Amino acid sequence: MSQTIEELQLELRQELVKQLNLEDMIPADFNENTPLFGEGLGLDSIDSLELVVLLDRNYGIKLKDPKEGRHVFQSIRTMAEYIQKNRVQA
Amino acid sequence: MSQRVFITGFGIITSIGKNTAENVQSLLHRRCGFGELNVLDTIHGKTLPACEIKLFNAELCALAGVAEGKGYTRTALLGLIALQEAIQSASLSPAEVQQAGLLSSTTTGGIREFERHFYELMDPTQAGDFVQYTDTANPGEHGERLADAVGIKKYIATLSTACSSSANSIMQGAQLIKHGKLERAICGGTEALSRFTINGFNSLMIVDPQHCRPFDNTRKGLNLGEGAAFVVLEGEDALAKSKKQPLAELKGYGNANDAFHQTASSPEGTGAFNAMRLALDMGGIAPADVDYINAHGTATENNDLSEGFGIQKLFGDTVPLFSSTKPYTGHTLAAAGSIEAVYCLLGLQHRVVWPNLNFNEQMPELSVSPVRELKQNVTLKQMLSNSFGFGGNTSSLLIAAV
Amino acid sequence: MTGNMQYYIQGIGMISPQKTFDNQLFLDEISTYDQNVLTSVVPDFKAYINPIQLRRLSRMLRIGLASATICLRDAGIDKPDGIITATGYGFLDETEKFLREMLELKEKQLTPTHFMQGTYNALAGLEAVTIKCMGYNNTYVSKGFAFENALQDAMMHIAENETAHFLVGSYDEAASVQFIASIREHHYKTEKISNLDLFNTPTLGTIQGEGSAFFDLTGVQTDNTWCVLKDSRMVYRPETTDELAVELRQFLKENDLTLEDVDVWINGITGDATRDARLKELETRELKALPQVRYKHLSGDYCTATSFALWLGASMLKKQHIPDIVKVNGFEMPKEIRTVLSVNHYMDRNYSFQLLHRAV
Repeated sequence: MSQTIEELQLELRQELVKQLNLEDMIPADFNENTPLFGEGLGLDSIDSLELVVLLDRNYGIKLKDPKEGRHVFQSIRTMAEYIQKNRVQA
Repeated sequence: MSQRVFITGFGIITSIGKNTAENVQSLLHRRCGFGELNVLDTIHGKTLPACEIKLFNAELCALAGVAEGKGYTRTALLGLIALQEAIQSASLSPAEVQQAGLLSSTTTGGIREFERHFYELMDPTQAGDFVQYTDTANPGEHGERLADAVGIKKYIATLSTACSSSANSIMQGAQLIKHGKLERAICGGTEALSRFTINGFNSLMIVDPQHCRPFDNTRKGLNLGEGAAFVVLEGEDALAKSKKQPLAELKGYGNANDAFHQTASSPEGTGAFNAMRLALDMGGIAPADVDYINAHGTATENNDLSEGFGIQKLFGDTVPLFSSTKPYTGHTLAAAGSIEAVYCLLGLQHRVVWPNLNFNEQMPELSVSPVRELKQNVTLKQMLSNSFGFGGNTSSLLIAAV
Repeated sequence: MTGNMQYYIQGIGMISPQKTFDNQLFLDEISTYDQNVLTSVVPDFKAYINPIQLRRLSRMLRIGLASATICLRDAGIDKPDGIITATGYGFLDETEKFLREMLELKEKQLTPTHFMQGTYNALAGLEAVTIKCMGYNNTYVSKGFAFENALQDAMMHIAENETAHFLVGSYDEAASVQFIASIREHHYKTEKISNLDLFNTPTLGTIQGEGSAFFDLTGVQTDNTWCVLKDSRMVYRPETTDELAVELRQFLKENDLTLEDVDVWINGITGDATRDARLKELETRELKALPQVRYKHLSGDYCTATSFALWLGASMLKKQHIPDIVKVNGFEMPKEIRTVLSVNHYMDRNYSFQLLHRAV
């Protein structure tokens, strides 16, 4: 199974909306480069923990230190790139 | 209306001792409760060691003097053991106990039993021994059970402000005495380890699989623990009648909210600063006159930084001796405030300052460091005991020698 | 609390199984339920909670936060001096979610949101963060006494500083875990009834209710004052009705009142044939002649239901009106309502009295 980065980004976007209840929150100009935290989507440290579990459950990637997440979870694009590099293929 | 409030007794059970005497010996000899879990059945038993009391519930029932099968949860049993020791230590008569208030606290009550029997309890067609735990998914159940077990009727309350709970129950007991509602109050908290709590804290990624290192630069999180402690508070009117000699005075207390984040403390330690300042103001004590702080010191990155800044801001150049005793007992959550208040009282009695174990590397953000070795022959006059919790709750108790 | 101190209810926010979130209304529309479980009639949360916060909040945290907001707006207060909450079972739905996930996933790959939101002080903490209230903050979880403990705590603080404002709130949810587990203890009726028939059933058990009520308490009266909260008292496990009657008379005496001074009493009976017995006996012995109102057919029973009684009493005093739905037949209701007494019990274990006066 090979998934393009675009497909993975779309999948991540849908997962994020579902897991983090973002239905009414996604701005019109949201794209793969929009920052997830801070000024962008406004996610917080608890969301970051939810994302750690999402990586583990969906892609078999375990982050040991929540601090690693800061780099991985910058945007949908950084997440997708990290997943492609590190995912455990079934 | 207002009167002074004194401490006349206490009782304690932790992973380093099932009574006061055992706790003192462990504290003196740097014996910790940290290790693999073998009483609680969890997949994390080996990977996330904690400070467990190595007694099964049947043994705790025997210690507490109650029959098995009567629905006592582990939280209630630990509480009852500490409560009985506290009553005995203050030499309260049955009549005095009946007229006392009981202010207990816990974060999860009987969740340990509830999680164990969850599927059976959720199927009303099933019957068995487990039905004794039907109503254990709430924190107040243990408080009524403790009151019933020792015969307290006058006033009961259970508090739950996460990891600051039992500091707040002590504070509230003192308030009731000051306002003439009660002559005496027995206050504290009790907490049993549970899979619920271990997994909850693990999901927040703040549990260190290694032994916790409060205020150390390499700290990676907390270790959980279990235990209970109660202190007996009596007003000066009650003491005038009984001529009892108090152990110490509860000279002040402060409760504030950090109002920063549900599970994180403000980086500047505003809540910590406010709680300590309120306690000192109430006691009319200048920061320079504080001899020791039993810090909350959970060894999470966030807490120790925030608390450290709060302490430095309040005390400036005169930061007193301070230590976190959590490497001994683990973080006993709701019980931590009363356990650490008892450790302050024991320090006072034995003229010692308990060491902050596992401290090796200075945090670069702070200019102060905790006490590393047992300090003996110390004259302690005023001590603060800090307890902070999720939800921004920050509390501090000011305990003074008499 | 005794003495000359008066405590004023300056604002109320109430979300319950009836449409009580709008302070302009007073039980004008009645919701009926036929499954023995009463759940809240909720407002549009967006009017009270910002969308970033709303996103992750559980149903009960939304209810609690909204009722706190309604209360502060009603009182015209931005930031009280302290926040005190009370609950019996807390956010049990959230606790259940975390627990089920933990058991089903065998303690692996768990997310923290339900764990965090299941914490008993989550609402008090969240409210503090929301309005940046750095003052006193506490949470009581003493089952049937939690709300009474919270009231007493606030009253002592106000006695120390009468201009202080304390936000005192209750929350309890009609959680299915509690419903199922307590089937064994017959806490709730096994036969399905309509909530409005609650007081006509001869069987064991009551109906499950929920709600979140917030009150702004202070020591100074203003034009906005709903009523005076004069005093509150708890009685734990009375052994006899006599004991309860003595406590009630003493309570009134300490407040320089007798039963003749009470214009209406609020009866907290639950429709449970066995557990109501003591309160019914107290009624027969002491309170028979007094005009009476009841409410648990509207709210259901829950640990902090005294807060519904307090809302009902404050509303009657402020509006000088008694809705038909709470009236008990056979009494002539007073022309002026000056003094209201609430008598409640939870599971025949936790009894409490509150005394309210019209603000004049």
